[in-house]
Amino acid sequence: MTLLKADDITVAQGGTPILHPVSLHLEPGEPLVILGETGSGKSLLAQAIMGTLPRDLAARGRVVLGDHLLDAARPGGFRPLWGRQIAVLPQEPWLSLDPLMRAKGQVTEAHHLVRGMTVPDAGAQATADLDRLGLAEAGMRYPHELSGGMAQRVAIAAARAGGARIVIADEPTKGLDAARRDEVADLLLAELARGGGLLVITHDLALARRIGGRMIVLREGRVVETGPTATVMGAPTQAYTRDLIAADPENWELRNRRPAGAPVLTATGLAAGRGGVRLFSDLSFDLTAGRILGVTGPSGCGKSTLGDVVLGLAPPSAGRMSRSAGLAPTAFQKLYQDPVAAFPRHRTLGRTLADVAPRHGEPQDRIDRLMPRLGLAPVLLTRKPDAVSGGELQRLALLRLLLVRPKFIFADEPTSRLDPITQKQVIDLLCETATTEGCAIMLVSHDPELVARTADHVLSLAPAKASEPDLSGPRVKLAGHLG
Amino acid sequence: MTDAVMIPRPAGLALRWTGAALVAAALVLALIGPLAVPGDPFAQSLIKALSGPEPAAPLGYDHLGRSIFHRLAAALRLSPAIAMAAVLTAGLAGLGLGTWAAARGGWTDRILTILADALLALPGLLLVLIVLAIVPGTALGFWAGLSLVLWVEFFRLTRAATRAVLASPAVQATRLLGFGPVYVFRTHIWPEIAPMMLTAAAFGTATAIMAIAALGFVHVGMRAPTPELGLMMVELLPYWREAPLALLSPVIATFALLLGLTLLAGSRDT
Amino acid sequence: MNTLMTRGIQALMVAVLIGAATFAMMRALPGDAAYRIAAGRYGYDNVDTAAADAVRAELGLDGPALPAFLNWLGDLLRLDFGHSLVSGQPVIAEIGHQLGASLSLAAVAVLLSLIMGPPLGILAGLRPGGMLDRVLLVVSTGLKAVPQFLMALILILILSVQLRLLPAAGYGAARHFILPALALALGLAAVNARIARDAMARIGAMPFYSFAQWKGLSPRQTLLRHGLRNVSVPLLTYLGLQFVTLVEGVVVVEAIFGWPGIGHALVHAIFSRDVPMVQGTALCLGLGFVLINAVIDLVTGRIDPRRAA
Repeated sequence: MTLLKADDITVAQGGTPILHPVSLHLEPGEPLVILGETGSGKSLLAQAIMGTLPRDLAARGRVVLGDHLLDAARPGGFRPLWGRQIAVLPQEPWLSLDPLMRAKGQVTEAHHLVRGMTVPDAGAQATADLDRLGLAEAGMRYPHELSGGMAQRVAIAAARAGGARIVIADEPTKGLDAARRDEVADLLLAELARGGGLLVITHDLALARRIGGRMIVLREGRVVETGPTATVMGAPTQAYTRDLIAADPENWELRNRRPAGAPVLTATGLAAGRGGVRLFSDLSFDLTAGRILGVTGPSGCGKSTLGDVVLGLAPPSAGRMSRSAGLAPTAFQKLYQDPVAAFPRHRTLGRTLADVAPRHGEPQDRIDRLMPRLGLAPVLLTRKPDAVSGGELQRLALLRLLLVRPKFIFADEPTSRLDPITQKQVIDLLCETATTEGCAIMLVSHDPELVARTADHVLSLAPAKASEPDLSGPRVKLAGHLG
Repeated sequence: MTDAVMIPRPAGLALRWTGAALVAAALVLALIGPLAVPGDPFAQSLIKALSGPEPAAPLGYDHLGRSIFHRLAAALRLSPAIAMAAVLTAGLAGLGLGTWAAARGGWTDRILTILADALLALPGLLLVLIVLAIVPGTALGFWAGLSLVLWVEFFRLTRAATRAVLASPAVQATRLLGFGPVYVFRTHIWPEIAPMMLTAAAFGTATAIMAIAALGFVHVGMRAPTPELGLMMVELLPYWREAPLALLSPVIATFALLLGLTLLAGSRDT
Repeated sequence: MNTLMTRGIQALMVAVLIGAATFAMMRALPGDAAYRIAAGRYGYDNVDTAAADAVRAELGLDGPALPAFLNWLGDLLRLDFGHSLVSGQPVIAEIGHQLGASLSLAAVAVLLSLIMGPPLGILAGLRPGGMLDRVLLVVSTGLKAVPQFLMALILILILSVQLRLLPAAGYGAARHFILPALALALGLAAVNARIARDAMARIGAMPFYSFAQWKGLSPRQTLLRHGLRNVSVPLLTYLGLQFVTLVEGVVVVEAIFGWPGIGHALVHAIFSRDVPMVQGTALCLGLGFVLINAVIDLVTGRIDPRRAA
């Protein structure tokens, strides 16, 4: 029996189609993965099926859900099914729990108000749900006291408390590191095993591989390829799918190891902490020109703090960081995780770059010569940072560093916010920079595959000795103070 | 203050222009009015007391037979002038101290913040009243008292915004690239705080004009026969039935000016 | 508790600032200040040169400023305000008389503003850009631009002079509350409404607000269970800050309506350079602000566990 069937779903914005007809069906016990990059329309498809599209977007098409026949053009009709037929798992669960309500209450209220249980029964059921997910002690905690993984599980319990059989998970691994990504996949599969259907929307190839089932690949609002996940990922028939699969770090070719060049930096017995928690200690390594040192480890293990120490932005609590003699003060540079936040917001990129070149005695035309090398169009220079795509901006950030002829670059998760194909381009450019500029690089990534295929050496940081509660996941930011 | 970003609403621009137009109208009346219709705000003519408009006095006469039009024009020069002087002083002080506190941190920051927090707990009118009792000269007293009250807002805004900016990756990147504090201020800090300064200045001017008028209205501000908005209202209140226009003129002018400044300030993100 | 400590420092600093301001005011008193202060203590009939000299010596009026100032601050921190220079009564007793009238007026005004402002603001914030939102924006902007004294004047003209519905001055009966309380409340409500509207719009757009509905909760259940509690935190915090506006309003409005409260007394005290009374009332108002905000800190800390941390 088909749980959900969607026919010819389209989405248009002001008459312009942004999602071309897509049909899909969801069977019990068989997950469906919708794979696509940013702008592929994969989230729009999910929102059209749930009736949660923003108001300025118009959907068309037919959705059959059990014995309900729904019109995608009238999203109001979907509302009664939320929680009862469809459970929606939000993108960032730590932002999706009410910050002022304890975890258990958020599950209990769904049992009580949606399924109609009495309050004591609902409470008992919520306790049982949380126990089953291994959250026995977390019920009395507030969301900000939960780790990312725990918040994810509370959200699953809350989303399914209304009795829905179909789970729709939109980018469930956004912002999670590799270990947690697998945890989420297993959790979703466990829910599936209890009967019902699972629809996963993602750009994450590793997640898709782990979920399995069937797959729809979307690109720019059109279906590229469909089929069983294992087949599509093992033997893609379309060029785009092949590029996408090839961009998965797991499928990258190994980078040739570089011979040791001139020494750039030496770290001896480094230790550092944050907020009273010791992050790492007795860390010793040295780095020579042209080599890449990969740094991996779970969230919160101190990768960024290590960067601050190496760059001289923070003092180590023990040990010594020494730069090779004769290096300019600006020889050590950093590439940021969020490139938008690394540029002045109110200036055009051209002006920002033009300020850098003369300061270091570089001719202005060095910018013009670097642009094509990094695959960048000159028109980008007239824009401000928020009007450029993430991949382009990260390449512009790299260009800005190259203007000062750095000898060392600390690249802090430089591609974690990029789509796979873009990620590969940026990492390739970074490797090329190490070779052509004779630059030492520390490449931080939460993806062990990426590091293994790129770096000459790997430094694995262990999780910080976390005090209870485990706060290693992304945390909810405290709302700004008034005034 | 994580989201202290000013997001102008779509309708905001039209409202701001309306505000600018209202303020401009008040200033035109104040500055150009007396040139178009010459007259003396202090000249009394008891025969004309409370009589209606005529070409030499387009808004009629008050209870002492003085031209309301010319008194209003003078009043619309007086309070805005004091207010702008106070806002300028307070703005410069707040901007300087706020940037300094954010950049230095440590005890400099702590002491200035404690001082600003304490001033925040005191009603502004009260401080102005006390300063008025100390400083000789009412206009000077208003300027000093209002500056003392108003710098706190500029300080808090500047400090919060500057701290956030200085802690951002963008500034770290700029410093790593070898730029100094002047470049950081020019390219990172100033573009963030400039729009806030404009808003705070408009609000501050409105606050100052309100304070001068309120204290005039309860007889503890400017003294007669100075033409001042609040004082004019309380003087003309007893003659409301005989000469409603006489009272309405300062009321409407004050409201228009304050509304204009409020609209000009735009929505403040709290 | 860190937040209570901050409030304690704030209170201390408020006292020092008021001490400094009133000390300067005393030094700037025209004529023989010692004689006036002695008269305030012992009554005009009992003042002689000896008494004035004693005061002069005690306060160090002719001596160097610093020891005199420290002495002055010491008295202040011991809450020894002395006697009114006008009535000769102890300042504490005078304030005790007037505080009740001011508190009742302020309470009625705040209550009125809370009935008018936040509900409208929340309704508007549920549909940002809707009809109610736009109307509320215009009305609240207009109201915000009307200072309290002008509001009082307009209300008197309309309700008292023209329609003869309510008395323009007086104290004692319930109907005397309406005009002064309304004059204060309308401006407060305009700002409350904006704060509530912005908070509701912001919270309504947060992922957890959508997620609550995806769980199957109705819009009403979502608002009651997840909306109001979250809106209350910024609203309460703002109410604390609004206390200053309220006090300024009380000072002006009491003076206009002849309300026998602390604000009225303050204006009189300033007018007649009654320094001990100014000091007492100012301290009372400043510490009132700190106290209210300390209470609000504790309450919001209970509602929002992230703040208590």
